Amino acid sequence: MTNTSTAHASLEETGRSYAPHEAVIEASRCLMCDDPPCNAGCPAGVDVRRFIRKIRFGNHRGAVRLIREANIMVGICGRVCPQEMLCMEHCTRTNLDTPIDIAGLQRFAGDIELASLAPLPDAAKDRPERVAVIGGGPAGVGAAVELRKRGVGVTIFEKSDVVGGVLTRGIPPFRLDQAFAAEELNYVERLGADVELEQTASEPAELLKKGFSAVFIGIGLGRPYTIGLEGEDLPGVHVASDLLTDIARGDRPDLGSRVVVIGGGNVAMDAAMAALRLGAERVDVCCLESYEEMPAFRSEIEEVQSEGIVFHPGTRPVRIVAEGNKVVGYEGVAIRWKEPGLLVPSNAVDVPGTKFSLAADGIIEAIGTGVLDRFEGVETDERGVVRTDPETMATSLPGVFAGGDVVSGGATAVRAYAEGKKAAEGIVAFLDSRGTEGGGR
Amino acid sequence: MKKVDLSVEFCGIRFPNPFVLAAAPPTDDAEMIARGFDAGWGGAVVKTLGLEHVEVNLVSPMMAGLSYEDKGLIGLENIDLISDRDINEVLAEVSELKKSYPEQVLIVSMMAGSEKEWKEITRRVQAAGADMIECSFSCPHGMPEKGMGSAVGQDAGLTYERAKWVVEAAEIPVLIKLTPNVTDMRPIAQKVKEAGAAGVTAINTVKALLGFDLDTFSPVPSVNGKSTEGGFSGPAIKPIALRFVADVVKDVGIPVAGVGGVVTWQDSVEFLLAGAGIVEVCTAVMRYGFDIVEELTEGLALYLEDKGMSSPMELIGLGLPNIVSHESLSREYKAIASIDEDLCVGCGQCIVACRDGGHQAIGFRGRQEDGGLSDADDARIPEVDDEKCIGCGFCRTVCPVEACISMTPRED
Repeated sequence: MTNTSTAHASLEETGRSYAPHEAVIEASRCLMCDDPPCNAGCPAGVDVRRFIRKIRFGNHRGAVRLIREANIMVGICGRVCPQEMLCMEHCTRTNLDTPIDIAGLQRFAGDIELASLAPLPDAAKDRPERVAVIGGGPAGVGAAVELRKRGVGVTIFEKSDVVGGVLTRGIPPFRLDQAFAAEELNYVERLGADVELEQTASEPAELLKKGFSAVFIGIGLGRPYTIGLEGEDLPGVHVASDLLTDIARGDRPDLGSRVVVIGGGNVAMDAAMAALRLGAERVDVCCLESYEEMPAFRSEIEEVQSEGIVFHPGTRPVRIVAEGNKVVGYEGVAIRWKEPGLLVPSNAVDVPGTKFSLAADGIIEAIGTGVLDRFEGVETDERGVVRTDPETMATSLPGVFAGGDVVSGGATAVRAYAEGKKAAEGIVAFLDSRGTEGGGR
Repeated sequence: MKKVDLSVEFCGIRFPNPFVLAAAPPTDDAEMIARGFDAGWGGAVVKTLGLEHVEVNLVSPMMAGLSYEDKGLIGLENIDLISDRDINEVLAEVSELKKSYPEQVLIVSMMAGSEKEWKEITRRVQAAGADMIECSFSCPHGMPEKGMGSAVGQDAGLTYERAKWVVEAAEIPVLIKLTPNVTDMRPIAQKVKEAGAAGVTAINTVKALLGFDLDTFSPVPSVNGKSTEGGFSGPAIKPIALRFVADVVKDVGIPVAGVGGVVTWQDSVEFLLAGAGIVEVCTAVMRYGFDIVEELTEGLALYLEDKGMSSPMELIGLGLPNIVSHESLSREYKAIASIDEDLCVGCGQCIVACRDGGHQAIGFRGRQEDGGLSDADDARIPEVDDEKCIGCGFCRTVCPVEACISMTPRED
């Protein structure tokens, strides 16, 4: 049995931010490329080279302003963006030695932001219209910020007790401190957006009737999938997204000393690392995908491995072993794909003679999430993913727009934010095209 | 292969190697100098001494550094003064040191006022067993206010007069350390030569105002909110030092101890090429310790071996014939920037530098009509426009890759 070295690892945020002089040193490695490839990698349109240049020449606060203009999630994205797949992927410096630590520099900038509470930009002249934003996650916040900057009134309806969506109620604290995230996202309120917490919004059509000029749907993916195994309702079996929400709220549930996580995505990785930090002595991760096929970010997979967590890739769950009401084990079996490349359970065939058992006090299912709510008149695919015009993010219902995971089916926070921004532009164009005929509120 | 012997003869004195600790804090006491000699330094200039009645009132802090990006200490400013130790004590140490280290060259730096004082201090230093004397006519702060230091070295007449006093009293070779805070050092060095001194030490620190504290508006180093102009040393001043060394050796023809910004053996070779006979080092020793002499001696020896030379003295002044007037530079020779595609990382810094620093002669190969870049693999390779390139060489200075951009002769 592998002894996990980090059984006492803390749930607190890991890593530290650069000190100012360290940031300048790192920034001075930047080659200041002409036509920089890093800029093309940022979904939110952050001018990466320019913000690094600002740090390099000691204009730290200018760097914060520049990033925030494109993306208010300065420190958040500095912590949770998979930069190695985005801006850092094509960093020219890689051809010389190692890429610039863009994530670290942005994290540094984010910390300055909170420390200095930079002044607000000049408010745009207020327009008469008001837009309802359903869901206060990164997509909704992105839309709200851009709308406010254009003078449009915004009301955010957020089901939870804090804005941020997965950022404040899904990502575990060791990746992103929830209080930090909430404070940074609070910028949307400083821009004048009304935020109604613990509010379930009405149907978009209702909101339009009530006087909102347009509606943005950014509800994310609120319904976790379950496998359908016998015993799933036992107290020792958890759904990852619910568990992570509880942890984000401050709960510290006892999962037992041996935990099995089912799933190969980022949420599964987060759940596995959280389980260790909640006191588990051994954590196993079982997933259908092969090691190479696992959808989690490589950096997260490697981090999980470095903590001594054991992977069982290319396997499917067979059953939860229980004694009475108590989970005692997990059984799985190796699979192969009938058709290569189609990574779904129905395409998996058991490999005979490969059944295995793991002792388990707790089982965490992390096999993905789907759309929770559907709205009248808003066209979706069969899974409930909202169909939009890729240019304007308009849905099939006039005046209703959408963005984020509910449209992409699940992607990064920065992409959700970028879609919110794009939808805001679509909404403003829509409002402009209506002229004065529609009723403002 | 010829056997390399690093020893040099300078002003009639044999040095085990050309690397000498300059007059500064590292040579203010015998224990430190001994450690320097043990590390391999060929000589040391004991920190400048004054006579008993000279009051040396130090301030603190007296040093502040200039850093640039991650380059650490690119320059150092000090408002230190001459040694505040008792001259008798130091000279007693000099005698002891000389006994323990007969091979290493011990030079004593000194400063005085009147003829009587200069002659007295010369005799006392000599009696203590110093191999050479170095007279500071060049400290740019503190002393000039009292008519000493660079107040002397900036005036050819005063320099001649005082150098003569010392030479008259001395039986050992005398070096005069000159200040770069003059428009031309040559007339002054000429007077040193006429006075009969053995050589010149060039340069002392460059008078400078290092910077300000942006909150208190005090210059740095801030002595309780105030500061004063000080002496600037370190890698940043090397080009200034090389210029003065070359000027003096070429046009005055007097031996020069070169000093100013030496960190690596490559720097020291440059001083030898400019005509210096020995090389003094201070800031780099303070920054990195006495041990760097190992890199200086070993690096120099290996370089000489590569060049088929057996002594550093063979290098002295080899670069001088190549320093000519601007007027006599070739106008027939035309260079053009040439970029090695295999080495290029595609950053385009050369493009920016040429666009905004010169002649708009470089562009990405994949640049399209609409201003965007094509998806081709070689889209980020910069190309030089033969028509527009004037061969200025600026692109080569900004390229992050060694030897990627070279200036080659035009073929047309």
